[in-house]
Amino acid sequence: MVDAARQPRIDVRAFTEVEKVEGFVGNFKVTLREKAKHVLADRCNGCGDCAKVCPIEVPNHYELNLAPRKAAYVPMSQSVPLIYSIDLDACIHCYKCVEACGSLEAIDFSQEDKIVEEDIGAIVVATGFSHFDPSVMEEYGYGRFPNVITSMEMERLNNSAGPTMGNLIRPSDRRNPQRIAFINCVGSRDKRYIPSCSNFCCMYSIKNAVLLKQMNPSVDITIYYMDIRTPSKGYEEFYDRAREMGIHFIQGRPSLITEDEATHNLFVHSEDITLGRVIENEYDMVMLNQAAIPQPDQNHMSSVLNVAQSPGGWFMEYHPKLRPIDSPTDGIFFAGACQGPKDIPSSVAQGSAAASRASRILLSERWEIEPIVAVVWPERCTATTKGRACGLCVKACPYGAVVIEGDKAAEIITAKCHGCGGCVAECPEDAISQLHYTDAQLLSQIRALLADKPEEKILALRCHWCSYGGADLAGTSHFEYTANERGIKVMCSARMDSDFIYEAYRLGAGAVLFSGCHPQDCHYITGQIIGAKRAVRLKKIFERMEMTEGRFRVEWISAAEGDKYARVLNEMQDVLDKMSPEQLQEEIARLKPEMEKRLKRFPGVPGVPEAMLYSDNLVDAILKSKEIA
Amino acid sequence: MSHSIMIRTFADEVKSIPGGEHLELCYSCGTCVSKCMIQQKVEPDYNPRRLLRLAIMDLKDEAFKSPTTWMCSECDLCYQACPQEIHISQVIAAVKKLAVEAGYTSPLTPVSVDEELCSGCGICVMVCPYEAPSLYEKEHNGDLDRLSEVDANKCMRCGTCVGACPLGAIAREGVSNTEITSQFGYVIPHNPLLVAFVCDWSLREDADVSLLESYPEDQVKIVHIPCTGRIDPQHALMALDSGINGVLVCGCKPGECHFKRGNHVAKCKISLLDAMLKQMQLNDKNIRLVQIGTQERGRIKYEVDDMLSTLKAPKEAIA
Repeated sequence: MVDAARQPRIDVRAFTEVEKVEGFVGNFKVTLREKAKHVLADRCNGCGDCAKVCPIEVPNHYELNLAPRKAAYVPMSQSVPLIYSIDLDACIHCYKCVEACGSLEAIDFSQEDKIVEEDIGAIVVATGFSHFDPSVMEEYGYGRFPNVITSMEMERLNNSAGPTMGNLIRPSDRRNPQRIAFINCVGSRDKRYIPSCSNFCCMYSIKNAVLLKQMNPSVDITIYYMDIRTPSKGYEEFYDRAREMGIHFIQGRPSLITEDEATHNLFVHSEDITLGRVIENEYDMVMLNQAAIPQPDQNHMSSVLNVAQSPGGWFMEYHPKLRPIDSPTDGIFFAGACQGPKDIPSSVAQGSAAASRASRILLSERWEIEPIVAVVWPERCTATTKGRACGLCVKACPYGAVVIEGDKAAEIITAKCHGCGGCVAECPEDAISQLHYTDAQLLSQIRALLADKPEEKILALRCHWCSYGGADLAGTSHFEYTANERGIKVMCSARMDSDFIYEAYRLGAGAVLFSGCHPQDCHYITGQIIGAKRAVRLKKIFERMEMTEGRFRVEWISAAEGDKYARVLNEMQDVLDKMSPEQLQEEIARLKPEMEKRLKRFPGVPGVPEAMLYSDNLVDAILKSKEIA
Repeated sequence: MSHSIMIRTFADEVKSIPGGEHLELCYSCGTCVSKCMIQQKVEPDYNPRRLLRLAIMDLKDEAFKSPTTWMCSECDLCYQACPQEIHISQVIAAVKKLAVEAGYTSPLTPVSVDEELCSGCGICVMVCPYEAPSLYEKEHNGDLDRLSEVDANKCMRCGTCVGACPLGAIAREGVSNTEITSQFGYVIPHNPLLVAFVCDWSLREDADVSLLESYPEDQVKIVHIPCTGRIDPQHALMALDSGINGVLVCGCKPGECHFKRGNHVAKCKISLLDAMLKQMQLNDKNIRLVQIGTQERGRIKYEVDDMLSTLKAPKEAIA
């Protein structure tokens, strides 16, 4: 940290919050709130005279409230930068610090928060993690029994710069404990609290146990665990070393801790799973290895940065295997535990990777993106026609690439667009189009495929990343399926416009398949969810029209499910085979006016020549937007 | 397309019964075993985790013969503690249901009903937490008599019905009326003498049990009962009548009763008894109910000492 602060090209901004992030890769505008320290940074030399004279003591958050600090303070003596600050919530305004500071005149009570705006090329998020509060687990008595502490508190007690100068003592009587138990998985792997594994606690508890045993070999240490997870290089060997040192390991999750009121000794009740027997052991001190949880303000950060969160609340990476460091927004990267619980080596590795990903952006003049971005035709946007933009496109975009400012037409930040086409399909005015996947292009494909005997055809809409791959696999694996299938590829199920399906039925298609990725596999974060919502809506509409069940089908097929693709199409063929040709013709004729009615509501559905014109407009538009960028 | 579950194995059978669905979520952490007191107190072979394991591994006969199948009293302490939120007692109930269907019977001796005394009032049916007793009609001397009978596979032997039967028609070995009253015969009141009705499950730790047993016999007389639901207000009154100074009823904390709701029944009985003593202008402080939680190690000593000192106080004043 000191090295980083000394490096001339690194600017450390302590006590500063990110308020707003605007812009896109290479051109972020970040608004920062530099909080008032009430000490002038350029004058304070870190001598600490103000803290010496300060009469107020409050718990020190850095020491997990195990030690006090003054109202004029630095959280720890190694703080970087070493500039004191005055905690006005605790200060009694005696101004003794002002006197002590003397001719330096570094203390300024009139200082206020400062808002600064910075131009930033790339952002690395490394906000870390927080800890589960075990006091909600009544069975372990944390907060009620003085000698039940968390392992983080133990770290402070065992630290030579900590409140006890590295002397591990029992909070109840300040004796050194002789019998110590560690309990793993407190709150983690527990459906009632944090269902996931916290990744590093096994190694962390073994590390602490070995440390304590090395300092005092006579200490009796037991680790209660459910499973010991030592997946990385050298970890299993370390676990072996701990066993050789005489640290006891008991497989069994303790269900209860009780306390002797006189001695404050603790009794841990658990099953020894290998023996199949309930055991009760007495300890002087019990340490809980709590679960790692996201920072309390992680939700706020995720909305500031416009990055999504995984189900556990951690920041979500672009792709768990292929792009584990990138956020879905280009130019924002994750390092360390803000993206999921991680141990130190993985955090360091991810930090280095994030730095090199970021420098890729900083070192390049131009940033190339796929040419399949969305473009707006502003004359058609409701902002122009009705005076106010409807905003459906903004809701549909998983990347925050669509912006509506005031009563202006929607705008796409081209650099942020990944080309899923969700906004395009959602736009009720057909005012947005996607290059290379324009409505005109897709409609002419549909018309061509359904030109001859449409009632025999099954039109399959497939997403590029999954169901198209599934169809491919069905072909390369030689799975037999109906020859009446006619496929169209779009980038994501979010692009599958209702118009396409209405148009297919208007032309007399026998059946339509709406297929995409499984929800968790979507390449465009939430694209599948947008597509699925639309598919469910369509299904209901067709049900109300009394269309034969099975003529419209929604299936989520991954790239590995070639067999499923073949099966689904065969089942759809069966539906058509069961209907007599007259019956099918009658139904198509009956539904045709319905479809026409729905298609009339849209200004779109241009003919092919018109579409060519439309595409020219789009190319103009994209060229223009590039110039601006 | 049909999505019905294929029943191929014993585990599938258990999972198809409502409550047994989450069987295979168990990752064998052992929390249930140490939370439950049956293994420590009664049966060393009792182990819910192992029963779940037997079911998962399709060891049907072993599961049916396991004491765990028959001895679980559905207190659900393990359900509250299970990190996988498996309703373990429901899984065990599912195994038990299959065992009963397969013709196995419970190894526990159920309470017995004396047909001569039973009037068929149905109080036992209302009070039983397990729906074990039911009424049936039997011909007796040309008349149809309504009688109670107990389902041996459902009875968990808590004795709540024994304490509730107004005619003393139900008996459970070890805690029948005579067996309890014979433990405190008439005594000369020379000493503050306390009789403590102690529920077998309320003192979790052996240390607490030996603490209680460390009091001399002429100060504290301990009567073990399977559940505070078993206590009979008459026993308390008989104790006071026979020269004993105070009655302490020691049970489990609300929500932790080993037999679902026996401690609630006890609380109702004791508050009624208090009201009665007040009406009779007797000291209602001499009968007390304490409910001890699993984490309240050592509390029993404070309670007994406190009771003994209140019993002593007026004596000294007289002297």
